[in-house]
Amino acid sequence: MVKIDHVYFGYCRETDTLKDVNLHISAGECVLLCGESGCGKTTVTKLINGLIPHFAENCSLQGEVTAASLDVAQTELYELSKEIGSVFQNPKSQFFNLDTDSELAFALENEGTDPVYIRARLAETVHNLHIEKLQRRNIFSLSGGEKQTLAFASVYAMNPKIFVLDEPSANLDYEAIEHLREQIDVLKAEGHTVIIAEHRLYYLTDFIDRAVYLKNGQIVRSFTHEEFLSMPDEYRVALGLRALKPTSIDLPKVRQEGTELGLSVEGLSFSYGKKVVFKELTFSTSPGEVLAITGPNGAGKTTLIRCLCGLLREQAGTIRLDGKRLKLKGRNKASFCVMQDVNHQLFSDSVWDECKLSSRDCEDEVIERILNDFDLLRFKDKHPMTLSGGQKQRLAVATALVSNKKLLIFDEPTSGLDHAQMMVVSSVVRKLADDGHIVLVVTHDWEFLKCACDRVLELKSYIG
Amino acid sequence: MDKEMHIDPRTGIILLLLSNIIAFAQSVLWVNGSWVCILALLMFLCGCGRSAAKFLTAYLLLLILQYKLIPVAPKFIATSFSIFVNYSIMMYPCIIIGILMIRKTPLRHFIVALRKWHLSTNFIISFSVALRYFPAIREEKGHIWDAMKLRNIHGLQRMECMVLPMMVSAINTADELSAAAVTRGIENPAPKTSLVELNMSILDWIYIGMGFIFVFLAIYIK
Amino acid sequence: MTATTATTSQKLKGKDLITAGIFAAIYFCVFMIGQLLSALHPVLWILFPFVIALLAGIPYYLLCAKVQKPGAVFIMGMVTGLIAVLSGQDSVIEGITFLIGCSMAEIIRHATKYSSFKGNMIAYIFFSINAVGSPLPIWLMREKFFAKISTLGMPADYINTLDALASPYMLIVLFAAVIIGAVLGSLIAKGLFNKHFKKAGIV
Repeated sequence: MVKIDHVYFGYCRETDTLKDVNLHISAGECVLLCGESGCGKTTVTKLINGLIPHFAENCSLQGEVTAASLDVAQTELYELSKEIGSVFQNPKSQFFNLDTDSELAFALENEGTDPVYIRARLAETVHNLHIEKLQRRNIFSLSGGEKQTLAFASVYAMNPKIFVLDEPSANLDYEAIEHLREQIDVLKAEGHTVIIAEHRLYYLTDFIDRAVYLKNGQIVRSFTHEEFLSMPDEYRVALGLRALKPTSIDLPKVRQEGTELGLSVEGLSFSYGKKVVFKELTFSTSPGEVLAITGPNGAGKTTLIRCLCGLLREQAGTIRLDGKRLKLKGRNKASFCVMQDVNHQLFSDSVWDECKLSSRDCEDEVIERILNDFDLLRFKDKHPMTLSGGQKQRLAVATALVSNKKLLIFDEPTSGLDHAQMMVVSSVVRKLADDGHIVLVVTHDWEFLKCACDRVLELKSYIG
Repeated sequence: MDKEMHIDPRTGIILLLLSNIIAFAQSVLWVNGSWVCILALLMFLCGCGRSAAKFLTAYLLLLILQYKLIPVAPKFIATSFSIFVNYSIMMYPCIIIGILMIRKTPLRHFIVALRKWHLSTNFIISFSVALRYFPAIREEKGHIWDAMKLRNIHGLQRMECMVLPMMVSAINTADELSAAAVTRGIENPAPKTSLVELNMSILDWIYIGMGFIFVFLAIYIK
Repeated sequence: MTATTATTSQKLKGKDLITAGIFAAIYFCVFMIGQLLSALHPVLWILFPFVIALLAGIPYYLLCAKVQKPGAVFIMGMVTGLIAVLSGQDSVIEGITFLIGCSMAEIIRHATKYSSFKGNMIAYIFFSINAVGSPLPIWLMREKFFAKISTLGMPADYINTLDALASPYMLIVLFAAVIIGAVLGSLIAKGLFNKHFKKAGIV
């Protein structure tokens, strides 16, 4: 079904991202492409769905790629898309329409399909994927997980022979990943060929027939299903891969009462109009502790951290830092949140100026020391947007430290990171706690929870 | 009994163009005023009764401003507002139709209407993306605003700082959205179909008829 | 078999159209900001195209850099123009000025081969004509407006002030402001390009 023969590829002519890649995938197979960040797994998916070479400009491609009996380089993308469907990692930027029904019909409408057939196919899609609740809704009102489900369903409606999934679980929480797992199950049952490039492996171990490990643009090893599952842990970590089996989290719960030292939340209540998000929430955390905030979608994690940062005014309750009650402005000053999309928080044209922006009277030596601690000093003249994701995160933290912020909150800092990068974030978070900051992390990444966090605050959807 | 009526997006566009002609014909008050009332009725029929009432009230206020208050107001206020008030009164029908279409016409219906009128497919694609991106701009602005609050950035500096994240976000979204769209066949030259079927109803024809009548009245009654 | 993508074709592809659409949305937001300011005083309204020209350089030049093909700027402008007219915010007059401005900008871009800053700047000056349709009714409706207010019995010096605002002299000011605004807007955009966009690698 898919044949990749002696492919060399580079985004620019000087360096090769892929070197002599050979891969044959049979019909109905489910193949996992795994490896560290930058190994080339996403690039291989682009070879299959045709984004390379049709979407990349001024790149160099050698070798042959055939998918569903079509020569990928010689066939137009809209012809390829009839046989090859692609799901990407960012739920926010995959949908073209404003309402869910249009989105589901999108691909079929583009092909010029008879509306009668479209209606029938959509009914099938809704039924097979159990997405009745998603019909007739405004896409902007969907959660991230629902958006990704919609993207998947929209591709499923095309009924392609091959499905290419590029890190589909990157921005999803536990519940949404379960949905994704069910959807891939349906694909397997129907005999589609599935190729998945992924970091997060535990949810896939049941389906994959084969796992292909890439490093530096080359296929280094191919595992069968059994070989992959029976891989010893040390070997897995040496390869830079995330865990294969989920384990339970045994972290102690957060302290349920207020405190004089550290962050103390007492009787916090917040509602959007009539909808109660949380009521009478009381907990505390001390400096040196890393508190994880977990919970399903809609439980109020984002609302809580926005309240804590002073971005949202609560209806009732008190928030104290080291015994002193803080109102909105005080919380603004004392806290910082590293957001899910760090691009929203970087404003300057150099790493150095970014730090200066936060605090004009901070001495240069202090800024140097902080940047050095985060391994960013060598980039001090570079534009923040040229940094990697992890580096941008650390820069955001640096700006907070320059402003002497005591309360530091991280919102899903390990989405889409491989094992090594996750460990770096873990060590950063731990160091911040050890330095006396109060650290909160909203996360559903249980590997990260185990390494970096001390206690857990589990938020549940409020049932009044 | 309380079933909402709908107007076809094509009717909306035609009424808008006709209202423009009526506006620039600058006829007498009763012609323009009646047209505004008839459009407010349309708004009511389409389920926006409360908005219709608000619009009529605002129209009345504007008229009072123009005919009673501004002539006796201090010179500075009179010069500041009289041209604006005059222009608003003139363009009022267009505003009503515009708001009605924004509220009640789903984007997908609009796209089908434009396709029926044989507008270029390229143009329609860009048009739908623009409308789809507005809520995203609002979301982005919210996040960037929050980030600026936490970084203690104020005043004019906020305007400058807003630019980079917005543009980076726009370009990234353009890349990702394009990838998702081209892998679902958006570049297919075959004529696109739609689940949406647009049909002109009696209400549409009545209003288009009335539109033409009012154009006639506006041009010939001075 | 070697397949190397050489220079891209001059046809607008899906990515180009989507990029144009997104920047059209941003351009429309600039319009909305301008509208808020212009409602305060007729002089501000006459300077509305000036304000737009100052701010719209950013999406315009980014589009010029990203899509160096015929039609991109035309589509970006006309999409915004259509939204402005259909939402009732602006009259069909504005639709016409949009058509003129966008067409001329495209012609200039084609003549200067899409990649020169000076060429794009001249095109931008014409592109800034788009917004002129907003205050233009002041002059188009001049006679009827004065006929109406004379029946209301307004004081003479007030009528003189309004007369001055709707004079041909102010029309020249309008267009001069457009040209100055476009040049300033181009310099602002160029500054941002050098400071941010080029350094960040997004153009």
